Amino acid sequence: MTFSKGSAWSPEHMCASSKRRPRVSPELLGALRAGKADLRRQREKADLREKIRVVLELQRLCLPLIERRRRLTEWERPWAITP
Amino acid sequence: MPSFADALRVLNDMKGSGVVEDYAVAGAMAMVFWAEPIPTYDLDVLVFLPGDEATIVTLAPLYQWAAGRGYTAQAEHVMIEGVPVRVVRPEYLVALYLEPGARTLKRRERAAALMEASALDRPALDDLLKRFGLEP
Repeated sequence: MTFSKGSAWSPEHMCASSKRRPRVSPELLGALRAGKADLRRQREKADLREKIRVVLELQRLCLPLIERRRRLTEWERPWAITP
Repeated sequence: MPSFADALRVLNDMKGSGVVEDYAVAGAMAMVFWAEPIPTYDLDVLVFLPGDEATIVTLAPLYQWAAGRGYTAQAEHVMIEGVPVRVVRPEYLVALYLEPGARTLKRRERAAALMEASALDRPALDDLLKRFGLEP
């Protein structure tokens, strides 16, 4: 993604001394939404084994984050399986 | 180490043994099947119990079956080997997530993601939502 000069997220705009937060332009929002939808379509197409592999990885990554917020329940632990 | 497929095989064995009439994977793992991977630590399964006219529904035969095979029950979960398959259709999954008593922020996000899934049958979903008076 490229940021054109003077756009809401351009470096000079972000560093400006103005106290007002830059407003996200509709174009940028549209581009972000389209990018996310594209990413979802790619992930959706992956085969089930690959999806399970990602789930197992997410389990390991998310557990410490959940544990920081609350006590884990007995069954909240990474599955001891292969994809 | 067992594989995910081994866990699913156990579900089929359960059906083959007559402990359940039929089953379908639901919840986050159904979402993984139809859309994108999301973190989850359990496998939700909807089951049809063998029909009888008894007033009280009991899951005891299911737990006995699991215990007989060395699968221990922990709270409401039966651990099956660490975790072909019928998976709840995405339209029904969206409807389940949008039920008034169930629509948490997380589930509404999941419903929104599923509504973008290419496998989703939009007319079927609209029909379901209309039939059960659910708000998208």
